[in-house]
Amino acid sequence: MSRTDFLATLQQRVILFDGGMGSMLIAAGLGSGETPEAWVLNRPEEIAWVHRAYLQAGAEVVTTATFGASRLKLASSPEGRSLDVMAVNERAVEIARKAMEDDGISTRFLAGDIGPSGQFFPPVGTLRASDARASFREQAQALCNAGVDLFLIETMYDLREALEALRAVRELSDLPVLVCLTFDQKPRGFFTIMGDTPGKAVNALLPEGASGLGANCTLGSRTMIELAGTFRPLTAAPLLFQPNAGQPVMEREIPQYRQQASEFAQDMMAILQAGANAIGGCCGTTPDFIRETRKLLLANSNSEGAR
Amino acid sequence: MKAFLERCIQSVQDGDAELAAGLAREALERGYSPLEVIENGFVKGIREVGRLWEEGVLFLPELVMSAEAMKLAMSLLRPALAKGARLATRGHVVIGTIEGDIHDIGKSLVATMLEANGFRITDLGADVPVGRFVDEVEKSDADCLAISALLTTTMSGQRRVIEGLKQRGLRLRVKVLVGGAPCSHEWAQQIGADGYAGDAVAAVVLAQELLGSGTAQ
Repeated sequence: MSRTDFLATLQQRVILFDGGMGSMLIAAGLGSGETPEAWVLNRPEEIAWVHRAYLQAGAEVVTTATFGASRLKLASSPEGRSLDVMAVNERAVEIARKAMEDDGISTRFLAGDIGPSGQFFPPVGTLRASDARASFREQAQALCNAGVDLFLIETMYDLREALEALRAVRELSDLPVLVCLTFDQKPRGFFTIMGDTPGKAVNALLPEGASGLGANCTLGSRTMIELAGTFRPLTAAPLLFQPNAGQPVMEREIPQYRQQASEFAQDMMAILQAGANAIGGCCGTTPDFIRETRKLLLANSNSEGAR
Repeated sequence: MKAFLERCIQSVQDGDAELAAGLAREALERGYSPLEVIENGFVKGIREVGRLWEEGVLFLPELVMSAEAMKLAMSLLRPALAKGARLATRGHVVIGTIEGDIHDIGKSLVATMLEANGFRITDLGADVPVGRFVDEVEKSDADCLAISALLTTTMSGQRRVIEGLKQRGLRLRVKVLVGGAPCSHEWAQQIGADGYAGDAVAAVVLAQELLGSGTAQ
């Protein structure tokens, strides 16, 4: 698939992304203190299993297991530091591509995932823009070389960092890039922890070459409906929303998300009503969530066709 | 004096560390009561910052800068206090990020905000072994232990600290607070902590509730 395929499809209809990777790996036994990206090299069959499960549930976009596979982020753990940035990203793309080929349906897209560095710009931390850019550039280059269809920059808590990731991608690729920030709800509206608003994100990201934008993580599906409604009047650009499956509850030291897949799927329809062009799941969502969402999507498009 | 105190409040609210330090020095030169300057000036400023944070007017960068301004002013005024007046302390808090977890920023911000609000702080840093938390409670006069965990993979360490305190008969000596992205009120309850706070401002409110109005030091 090519750039035009993804964006053209997004113009015509809703695209369903996959659900969470990290919480699936924890359920599969990813242990305390382990780096998820290490599994890309050491336990590739587990990563492939998650991709296949999402594809079978009806996800049209497979997201690589590279959320934390930038040099800066990997440097935050001893295990991460021992990993080769290029190898992790390239291998993750191969695993995802193979899962898509095995599945055999051609109208599917491979999104190269880029998450935050985990570090902070001043005054909170000491991260420099040039270091952030270099770290993202290296990851983006590896993803690009290995052959993704689009980039997904997500869970960004600082618009400045999201911009550095976007610029890094744009330096070396004209593939579609979607940028999702992570917002919290405050009495005065939706803000990142740095105080960035949806409006500020729209005004900053689109002129820098984002193909679309939106939000993921932090919020559950119910609150994300309101956020989608806040975003829609601000731009005609494609909007993507990937909420969590509610808030985690710890059970036997494993985070459990208690939201029912059917409830999540209902909320996702409301998010589409509010103006989203693409939807998917973040932490705690499973193939069941995507399957339920797919069912409602099909039911809706059938009833529209009958009208 | 009132105008001077207003300037102190404003310097913290604006996160202007240089100005806050200048005002602290000026207060000492003019012979103002350090206690009054702290309690009716800088502390009021940081409380207002906390309120504006909760409302969503100020965010993390502003909170960090205000906390730094407060910390700097306090570092200049506190030595003067020791000579004369007794600063009411709300209690001694031992704080750290659990082992396996190198996230330092959230924990440090909680420490700074607690200190700014009159708590005495021992900051053990990040990646602190379970046993070290327990040892510190045993050998110090801590009233409260605050444990941060930013990862779902490290938060079980918070439970192990509480178990360690129980085994050594220390659990009732301190209030235990937990915090960090994956934590919640339910988690605090499950592991037998005394409370959970979602951010630095909430941590101050919680510590004040748990430790009461404070003791003279």
